[in-house]
Amino acid sequence: MFGFFRELLIIGTLTVVGASFSLYSGWMPPPWQGPSLTAGEIRLRDAQVLDAIWIDARSRDDYDTRHISDAILLNDSNWDEGIQDLMGIWLIHARPIIVYCSSTQCNASKRIAAQLREALPEAEIYSLKGDWEAWKK
Amino acid sequence: MEKVSYRHFLTLVVRMVLTGAFVLAALPKIKDPVAFAASVNAFQVVGPEFSNWVALMLPWLELTIGIGILLPHIRSASDILMAGLLLVFITLHASAWVRGLEISCGCFGAESMEKETNYLWLIARNTLLFTGCLLIIFEDFKKHIGSET
Repeated sequence: MFGFFRELLIIGTLTVVGASFSLYSGWMPPPWQGPSLTAGEIRLRDAQVLDAIWIDARSRDDYDTRHISDAILLNDSNWDEGIQDLMGIWLIHARPIIVYCSSTQCNASKRIAAQLREALPEAEIYSLKGDWEAWKK
Repeated sequence: MEKVSYRHFLTLVVRMVLTGAFVLAALPKIKDPVAFAASVNAFQVVGPEFSNWVALMLPWLELTIGIGILLPHIRSASDILMAGLLLVFITLHASAWVRGLEISCGCFGAESMEKETNYLWLIARNTLLFTGCLLIIFEDFKKHIGSET
């Protein structure tokens, strides 16, 4: 019986040593870091190598102040106008579509991307991780 | 004599299959604990905080006992822990099936995640591995009794 508990102790020790290695080696992210990308998201460095159509889901004021070159303004208040502009470009030359809003706290890029997936089921649509803040950096 | 050799050979094969299954299951989960934590969380049995700890510890336990069933120093405890873990897995899959959860198993890490969960296959596979565990526990027990008499 003592031998069995000694074996359990050895197994427990090895497990804790392994888990500590995972935690402190830095070779793998800790589980509570959360997924680096959620479904439908794309990193800026990946987005930049795509010949993508950019969709600005921020307000018109923010868009007028500054936006990604050739980005189309498409938000809830100008959905019809924005989708027409998008269709005009996408139907001529189908390309990936990437939506961004102000920052990681805004949810508009994900929401607009979801709406676009319903409107254009054949299109490749992403929301930009980090949104406009990532682009500014 | 021939019968004993056959049994030893069979036990060794079962041990190696179990080792292969547990080591192959553990390595991708060690590499990507974030994805495994999401898989654990999807079962909706424990809270997110505890899921993270499970995702951190369980793969290393799987790896240790997977190799441990081949090592005389920790073989008996590894056999029993492995059987216990497989029972837990079978119960979790059955519970998720009954609750109608559409989740990926994540048993062999995120890369192997199936699009649709085939609970029947998962339970059958783990039951087969559990049966293998029972066989090696029985063989160990017989050997232990034999060495005492």
